[in-house]
Amino acid sequence: MTRVQADRRPARPASGGHANGAANPDPIPGTRTLCLKVMDTPNAPNPGATAPPGTPVELNGRLSNLLGQIAQGDQAAFAEFYELTSRRVFGMARRVLIDTELSEDTTQEVFLQVWQNASKFNREAGSALAWLMTISHRRAVDKVRSSQSSSEREAKYGASSQEIDHDSVSDEVGSRLEAEAVVRCLGTLTETQRESVRLAYYGGLTYREVAAKLNAAVPTIKSRIRDGLIRLKTCLGVS
Amino acid sequence: MTDINAQNSGRVPGGFAADIATDLSSGRAVHLAEVYALDAVDDAERAAIEHYLAAAPQAERDSFAERVRQARETLAGTFTAEEEPPAGLLDRIMASLPAQPSGQAPATGLVGGPADSAGPAAAANPAGEPSGLPVADELGAARRRRDERRRPRGMRNWLIGVAAAAVIALGGVGVGAYVANQNDPVNQVLLASDVREATVEVSGGGRAILAVSPSKDAAVVKMDGVPAPPAGKVYQMWLIPKDGSDPQSQGLMDAEALSKPAVVRGIRSAAALGITVEPAGGSPKPTTPPVAAAPLGA
Repeated sequence: MTRVQADRRPARPASGGHANGAANPDPIPGTRTLCLKVMDTPNAPNPGATAPPGTPVELNGRLSNLLGQIAQGDQAAFAEFYELTSRRVFGMARRVLIDTELSEDTTQEVFLQVWQNASKFNREAGSALAWLMTISHRRAVDKVRSSQSSSEREAKYGASSQEIDHDSVSDEVGSRLEAEAVVRCLGTLTETQRESVRLAYYGGLTYREVAAKLNAAVPTIKSRIRDGLIRLKTCLGVS
Repeated sequence: MTDINAQNSGRVPGGFAADIATDLSSGRAVHLAEVYALDAVDDAERAAIEHYLAAAPQAERDSFAERVRQARETLAGTFTAEEEPPAGLLDRIMASLPAQPSGQAPATGLVGGPADSAGPAAAANPAGEPSGLPVADELGAARRRRDERRRPRGMRNWLIGVAAAAVIALGGVGVGAYVANQNDPVNQVLLASDVREATVEVSGGGRAILAVSPSKDAAVVKMDGVPAPPAGKVYQMWLIPKDGSDPQSQGLMDAEALSKPAVVRGIRSAAALGITVEPAGGSPKPTTPPVAAAPLGA
């Protein structure tokens, strides 16, 4: 299944730490055609249709509509919104908080906030997913900072960071393409930029705490976070 | 640490100082957008940034907001960890949903804890989904027990204190005198068509003047004749959420900030606004009883 990636490989820098094969020249055109013949092509022969299922664009459209219904008090829409997003909210909470019970509480609080604040969502001002994850991250970070000391958090982050490079993603084609773009774009950051942004996001650390952990100057960490996120934004084409 | 000198020298080529206050005063607020969007600042720093922006020129506020928006989209697209939440969580959440979302909440039970949530949820479910009140009670009770175990001692009393706070008097004592220009966030609240003003006594002297606008989902708070906090202490403002969750810090007021109006956003989901005295730098949760508290309910 992952072999489908072969025809996008030229776009990906060889720094991904994958097998040496990444340095090979472009695949021979013939083989590529052959490959595509025997498996599902990611470029569906239906380009004019709506955004493919599983892509963020399609998901955000659905979520925006659901938020509109939730703002009217629609519980079924709320349940559907939960089904579509709870894995993301809980997954993030777990990485920040580690503790299952605290993560569950946080998830519950986030969705209560969704229920109460759905009418505040403005699709002109950003995507539904970004809105939700902003609420979620803030909640998780507030919770972790009030319940654990920064040294506890750093220790836990260290223990859990192994799996962070291998975030589980859905099997849908749209998500998979998106995930590949993220891996590629994270590869355009310097190691220290990546580390600083991750420590802040999944570790719940402030820039000061990141600086202490990485034994770096405080202004430097602020620059790394700023430059790293801007580079990532540019690479991902966020507009 | 070996790089203390580097920290003390304050500046690196990127232009940031060691502390947020210097960044703000040296015109680098917009460059803090990414750090802010990443929640990589503490509560006091977040408040300082917001306080600065509240008085900043429109163009600067706009660029800050735009960069925050882009950073949030970027983060949402980058960190996509997924994990299956515990089975039954949705049911538990559904059972605890307040009767009506967003701003339509009735004025009763302003500071209802989680205990108050189960009843209205059933009422809001006329379609007859088997929401099961007994289940809600059971889960709600379990959650309450957990919450109480985690909450610092006195939190319940604190909430009760807010509930019992004297109802604020409507009056014409203007926050309006501090108005600067029409696009100022303070002004947007003060000039809202539905704004109402109120005052609440501050124990220790003076009063807090509130201008509340449900349509702007915001309130302006201005201290009047309130003594400076004791040395090493600050005033910290909190919104107490209607859903019974922990108070959310809305920022700090030191002696200097006392003279300026502060904008508090997100009041729609809050039952009350409280002010406590906290150690400098603020606290993640209130550690003392409020010196002032005002119900915000519609």
